[in-house]
Amino acid sequence: MSDSKEKRVGLFEQEQSRRDFLKLSGKSAAGAFVALFLGSATTVFAKDGKEYRVWATPTGAIVHDPNRCVGCKRCEVACTVKNDGKASAYLSRIKVSRNQNFGVKGPSSAYAKADGQLGNFRIVAEVCRQCEKPACGNACPVGAIYTDAKTNARVVDANKCVGCGACARACAWHIPTVDVEAGVSTKCTTCGGDPACAKSCPTGAIRYLPFAEAEKFLWETDAVSGATA
Amino acid sequence: MANVYGYTGKILRVDLTTGQISIDDTLKYKDFIGGEGMAMKIMWDEVAPGTKAYDAANKIVFGTGPLCGTGVPCSGRTNITSLYPGSPFNGVTSSHMGGYFATELKYAGWDMIVIEGKAASPVWLRIEDEKVTIEDARWMWGKGIFDTQAMIASFMGKEAQAAAIGQAGENMVNLSVIRTGASHSAGGHGGVMGSKNLKAVGVRGSGSVKIAADPKEWAELDKFLMSIIGANNQQVVPTTPQPWAEFSDKTSRWTARKGLFWGAATPPVETGECDPKDPQTVGLRTQKAVFDLGAGAEKYTVRMGGCSHCPIRCHSQLNIPQLEKYGLDPYVANTCVGYSGPRGVMAYGIKEFDGHGADSSIVGNAIGTSLADDYGVWCNYAQIGRDVKYCYDKGVFKRVLSAEEYASIPWDKLVKGDATFLIDFYDRVAFKKGEFSHIADGSAWIAERWNLGDEYWDDKAGKLWTRGGYPVHHSNEAGAQVGALISCFSNRDSQNHSHMNFIGSKLPINIQKKIAGEIFGSPDALDAPSDYKPMNIYKARFAAWSLNRSILHNSLTLCNWMWPMSVSHIKENGYRGDTGLEAKFYSLATGFKMTEKQLDEAAARCFTLFRAITVRQMGNSDLRKNHDQTTKWITKADKDKDGKEIKQFTPGTIQMTEDDMAIARTMLYKEYGWDEKTGAPSRASLLKYGLGDVAEDLAKRGLLPA
Repeated sequence: MSDSKEKRVGLFEQEQSRRDFLKLSGKSAAGAFVALFLGSATTVFAKDGKEYRVWATPTGAIVHDPNRCVGCKRCEVACTVKNDGKASAYLSRIKVSRNQNFGVKGPSSAYAKADGQLGNFRIVAEVCRQCEKPACGNACPVGAIYTDAKTNARVVDANKCVGCGACARACAWHIPTVDVEAGVSTKCTTCGGDPACAKSCPTGAIRYLPFAEAEKFLWETDAVSGATA
Repeated sequence: MANVYGYTGKILRVDLTTGQISIDDTLKYKDFIGGEGMAMKIMWDEVAPGTKAYDAANKIVFGTGPLCGTGVPCSGRTNITSLYPGSPFNGVTSSHMGGYFATELKYAGWDMIVIEGKAASPVWLRIEDEKVTIEDARWMWGKGIFDTQAMIASFMGKEAQAAAIGQAGENMVNLSVIRTGASHSAGGHGGVMGSKNLKAVGVRGSGSVKIAADPKEWAELDKFLMSIIGANNQQVVPTTPQPWAEFSDKTSRWTARKGLFWGAATPPVETGECDPKDPQTVGLRTQKAVFDLGAGAEKYTVRMGGCSHCPIRCHSQLNIPQLEKYGLDPYVANTCVGYSGPRGVMAYGIKEFDGHGADSSIVGNAIGTSLADDYGVWCNYAQIGRDVKYCYDKGVFKRVLSAEEYASIPWDKLVKGDATFLIDFYDRVAFKKGEFSHIADGSAWIAERWNLGDEYWDDKAGKLWTRGGYPVHHSNEAGAQVGALISCFSNRDSQNHSHMNFIGSKLPINIQKKIAGEIFGSPDALDAPSDYKPMNIYKARFAAWSLNRSILHNSLTLCNWMWPMSVSHIKENGYRGDTGLEAKFYSLATGFKMTEKQLDEAAARCFTLFRAITVRQMGNSDLRKNHDQTTKWITKADKDKDGKEIKQFTPGTIQMTEDDMAIARTMLYKEYGWDEKTGAPSRASLLKYGLGDVAEDLAKRGLLPA
């Protein structure tokens, strides 16, 4: 599923996936004009005249452990108070509330034994995977999603965002969320590599891990965080 | 609307008779803080004296407060206020539930919901942000609370939270609950919803609660609180010696230690040392399953649960496969009396049954908890079990039940400790089958219906505190006259932990007395356990403070099972906590600056208004005589093993005396400025609290003391 085990080649000393690398080298790098802006997604104008966006690999990502989570949702308020100056569950970049009672799949006739507080008590939070090729960023019609200068986390430029929700729809896990009060989208910034959600967790169920390590939890068959791919 | 912080600024009003839905302004009630305080104002203004709990004219108020939803630790509770059918005079009471309903209501944009009238047929209330509709509940009616919540989430989406009644509430069983989530119950008002044909309230919110303060300032205060918070009930001493702890106490709720696990987690999670300096182990401190159900419950523990934004997880969530034998889900959760209440129905204990061996008690207890939580039956703070025992032992059931009905009840199971008795018991109670089911009318009503007389009220084993029909709840055993007084001023069990979160901290008594001295003016505010002294003014201050903080917490809304933070685990600070934290958080959240003293005065206003409602509802201003008296067992001297009386206020007894309690009442009345003869709010005290309109109303009715 993932390219995570493949060799990565740096781009501006940042790691990059093999497929991104091929886009630059094998297909079109020779004649490419590469427009690079520190702290943003990289726009590549290839030899074929098409425009590609290249995303530097994040330094880390957040992982949630359903086995340790107690569902207090202190992470959600820590996230939104820090980033938005207001407390909200819907807006939180780590998604506990929506899966809390009935799991990722929602209520069914088998709810009593399914995930969730109304079932087997298992609480599965969904987190932003800081995808190597972020569907959210690629779907944004105004280029409002860029990579943070410090962590390469995929973040929203609220000044550019038009609140259309394309990012939320493009994400397989619907992590980006349009703030209905502010009219702009939000998503996990990893708080500059020191995420408030992880710090606020009273059982150590949320960790911020180096990207390669996080990927193992987020994508592979033993994934414990969020819905597996 | 101008920017509003802490509050959402809106109260939802629903008239089920007319179907009218409207919006009210929260801030016009701001003097009453929120939750319970605001609900008391609404009940005073809008529910006429003489109204009965099940009348359409009664109102039920679901309330949150300005700290709910902000993320303040332990701020996820919902306060529910209405007339209580278990009260002999249908007095106003508040019930409370934890869980996640309250925060979702705030995020939907509502501080409170005020429901009145009666729907023509079963309905449920659907709240999705500002969109509010009254929905047909015909297919939900008759379902248990678990299925009802799943049905609501099926309609509204998996994010929705619901507060619902079970069959007991539908059938207007006086002792019934409103419940949310896996295990969060508000006892006593389920029947009020049933009387209104209201099955449930579902809510889903995509909004937020705004905080007035700078996020960094807010985070600093949160960090400070997290540095002094303890375990469940703010107990700050571990059960076993720990490297970081000066003291240990095996009765503490800080049960975490190396080798103690959430045994049914996959893989098991060790609770461990839980050094207070590590904020990421705060949620592991209380392994409540072993505290509530014994060591055998460790292996069934999936995790610890609790409420929104609370790092102290006090509900144990268990996987007990044996429950499937009885057609029950294996997953069961609860805490404290949520377990011991149903267990108490097995009045002669739970013995080995059905091959469950050493785990019989755990399995039997779980059967009761599962049934009570799904049917929505309340235990009247464990009183229902004591009432079963009394009525069985004294032959009351034999006297009042028909021979046919009596013979149909599996008494042999009750007596020999076979917990499958509970299956029969809860079926009769929830569906009001037969005369026996009146056991859930509440103690005051069965005393009248079954003519139980003084012997019943004054039975020490019965633990009834007043003729209001409710039992002890951290009463004379908890701080002598302090706890005793607190229990006298309620219309249900006192539900007050302000004092317990201090004196139950497990710190040595000399440290507690020192801190008590700093808060209440003298170490004499607190007596050592079973070494009581006569009443003094400092105990009155302690009792009034406890009453005020309870209604304050139910108004903010904070959990009174954790707050106030009077003590801490920090030796370097003399184990002091910070009693000013509520005011600091209130000021930062709302932008309305309030000192600790000002907030306590606002709470005293709310409590005085509650008192005035009780006067008006009873139609009698002599509360000293007609409301505040205890049953007689409390003031009767104990006897030693030789049959000799143990004199009160000597070591070894916790009994009170009539004379001392009379002095104690007077001192407490004085604390509030109430009339010292009757205990009713005086004109001066009402004016002092800005309740002049209440004084006028009471005066017109002849209920204002001269």
